[in-house]
Amino acid sequence: MDVRIPEIPASYDAYRDELRAFIAKHVPTLEMKPRSGLRVPDTAEDVEAQRNFVRALHDAGYRQDRFQAHDGDPFEQRILQQALSTVPEAAMGNPLVAGALKLFGTDDQKAKYLPPISRGDHIWSQLFSEPNAGSDLSNLKTRADLDGDVYVVNGQKVWTTWAQWSDYGYLLARTEPTPGPAGITAFVLDMKLPGVDVRPLREITGTTDFNEVFLTDVRVPVTDVIGQPGNGWKVTNMSLAMERSGIGGGGGGAVVGELIDAARLHNRRGRSAIEADDVRQGLARLAARSRIHRAIGHKIATRAAKGKLSVSDAPIGKIWFGELNLAMCEFALRLQGPRSALTEGDPAAYLDGVWQDRFLYARAWTIAGGSNEIMRNMIAERGLGLPKEPRGS
Amino acid sequence: MDFDFNDDQDLLRATTRAYLEKRSSIASRRPLLESPEVFDRRVWEEGAELGWTALLVATEYEGGSVSDQPLVDLVVLAEEFGRTLQPGPLIPTNVVADAIARFGSVEQRRAHLPGIVAGKTVAAWCMTADGSPDLGGISLRATTGPDGGFTLTGTAGYVHGATVADLFLVTAASEAGPAQFLVPATSAGVSVRRLVTLDLTRRFGEVHFDAVAVPAANELATGDSAVDVHNRALAVATVLQGAEAVGAAEHLFAVTLQYSKDRIQFGRPIGSFQAIKHRMADLAISVEAMRAATHYAALALADGLDDADEAIATAGSYVTEAHAFLCGECLQLTGGIGFTWEHDVHLFLRRARTDEVLYGDPPWHREELCRLITSTRTKEQP
Ligand SMILES: Cc1cc2nc3c(=O)[nH]c(=O)nc-3n(C[C@H](O)[C@H](O)[C@H](O)COP(=O)(O)OP(=O)(O)OC[C@H]3O[C@@H](n4cnc5c(N)ncnc54)[C@H](O)[C@@H]3O)c2cc1C
Repeated sequence: MDVRIPEIPASYDAYRDELRAFIAKHVPTLEMKPRSGLRVPDTAEDVEAQRNFVRALHDAGYRQDRFQAHDGDPFEQRILQQALSTVPEAAMGNPLVAGALKLFGTDDQKAKYLPPISRGDHIWSQLFSEPNAGSDLSNLKTRADLDGDVYVVNGQKVWTTWAQWSDYGYLLARTEPTPGPAGITAFVLDMKLPGVDVRPLREITGTTDFNEVFLTDVRVPVTDVIGQPGNGWKVTNMSLAMERSGIGGGGGGAVVGELIDAARLHNRRGRSAIEADDVRQGLARLAARSRIHRAIGHKIATRAAKGKLSVSDAPIGKIWFGELNLAMCEFALRLQGPRSALTEGDPAAYLDGVWQDRFLYARAWTIAGGSNEIMRNMIAERGLGLPKEPRGS
Repeated sequence: MDFDFNDDQDLLRATTRAYLEKRSSIASRRPLLESPEVFDRRVWEEGAELGWTALLVATEYEGGSVSDQPLVDLVVLAEEFGRTLQPGPLIPTNVVADAIARFGSVEQRRAHLPGIVAGKTVAAWCMTADGSPDLGGISLRATTGPDGGFTLTGTAGYVHGATVADLFLVTAASEAGPAQFLVPATSAGVSVRRLVTLDLTRRFGEVHFDAVAVPAANELATGDSAVDVHNRALAVATVLQGAEAVGAAEHLFAVTLQYSKDRIQFGRPIGSFQAIKHRMADLAISVEAMRAATHYAALALADGLDDADEAIATAGSYVTEAHAFLCGECLQLTGGIGFTWEHDVHLFLRRARTDEVLYGDPPWHREELCRLITSTRTKEQP
């Protein structure tokens, strides 16, 4: 048994140092406050600043493999991923379409779309969910009707993160009237086409990260179908699995060390909370869950390397992370006692309300990308072989 | 990265499982559940030939392991022991073997290890009187006699295997701080009271030492090194206890899953009801978590990784508690038939509830984990 991964040789120290210096020099100061999660700027200036930063990284040779546009040196990629994981300014749009294009796209599509994702020239979003198709995604109603060499798209999408600043959308629409997954097709949608109407929505956090997207007679060229017509369900499941394992593999979450800081700082009955038995027990529970999260990750990585991944693996990672993150945020608020009622903007709020924002945002991880209830259905039905949920008509 | 057992360890598992099914299945031990003794020496000696007592002992004392991570090999055995609720003191005997192999003098190793390895010497660990791992819970006193030997007086509680042990590893408070002694069960003044326990599959004893004379040569460690012996023993026991829980949980979960597919109510398998389905999913997650926590602790201890202490405390915090919860859920999901004496689920539940408190209960390990993580987090925020 062994959980080590090849150590990064000392010869890469220079690469790491240069990268860090590069980031420090070029990272923009945004109007948007740094927050955990997939968060979206309010102003075009911020978006432009982010774009310039991503381009600068790209043009200096710091290109991430996850955008599928090139194959980099594995050690450099690890250093790059690690360095950028704490730099939210470098995260733009929802790039999961890259995986779909890589697996199902034509050569022309790959050449046209992948490099600009990598370079930050194109911002993408994912247009899957609809008002009546959330968990039950294959019930989606947006139609794409063939008319010569274009599809005419009509329908409504919702909860579309980053849509307000997107150049392109990864769209699911129905090309056959048959119900269920069979008639669904995946498309590239140019968000600047006539008939695409994006209306931002305000979230529980008070910020505006997702949108409604109305599609009225939008004419999408047939060359923008990803994979085969009617094959969209397969294309999607692949990219959703990536999204889930991304969440399960989890950056963006709360961390134990910060809870220790909060426990030391806040008092209860005249003593530091860190001395209270229930706080110590609670901290240890969270620390154990956090360490176990990592160990489960090693199990999953081992299965992945042997080509023995189970359908339950991504859901397990997603559930574990989402619930742990939520529990940490709730714990952090409890540590603050009455002060936890204060939030961003109040001068007395702890760390300007960062935990209050994390607490509210924590539900994104348990709902988005397939809710945890749906993940449990997947584990039970596909992983454990229990009977499927009956479907209503 | 290969966080899984290797082929040799898989073979060890297959051999062990086949042997236990044939010679010591749960069904075969059913008639003994309420009898004074459940331990079968012949099974133990045959098991010794399969390596049950050899893995943590060097070849020069007749031991030997399957891989270069003997503790991970032993995890395989402990999982199989848990799966079939074995009565044998796999954990205490190996804890004692490990203590002698690591900390004993050459004479002590020669005197005891070959017998343990051969299955002739069954060993038990007298940790404390109150069953907690706190050295403050020791009631045994060791006084030094004129000949340099010791006299032990006091009690050790909750000792698995005490009723059949030939050799005790005993922790006592001496003038020089804590000390450990190797005490043959036949020593004058040693007596064992069999405990009546919730667990029906193992036997535990309270060991009384009434002015037991122990020669100086039987002292294993004293002072700081006695604390090291204690901590090491506790770490090994925590890993192996976790592994027994993993094996038991995997088995009971599989049985319950099958039941949820077979049992029909309201015209459908009960496993089609989401209230049950989601609980099965949660149990599947917890089994994976128990496995990951235990295997990581085993690996960290075997390889002496930097975070070994945290890894042990993590396993101790989570695994036995999750297992006891799983057993309760499995009982619930099995309904009335699960409430019968005949059904095995109560044997798992009884044992799981006992596992939780044997080598430091989860709250004890959590306090340990909290101490470790707060001591490394020095940065204070404004
Ligand atoms: C912050 C955020 C960002 C998002 N970003 C995007 C995006 O960029 N693009 C995109 O396409 N979508 C996005 N989504 C949408 C997300 O994928 C859906 O919200 C999610 O799939 C749930 O669908 P729903 O909201 O319609 O809830 P519903 O499906 O109506 O579910 C409501 C409740 O019912 C439960 N439920 C539903 N069906 C079952 C069942 N069979 N068994 C048990 N319980 C069930 C759910 O678990 C949930 O608790 C985002 C959502 C959030 C919160």
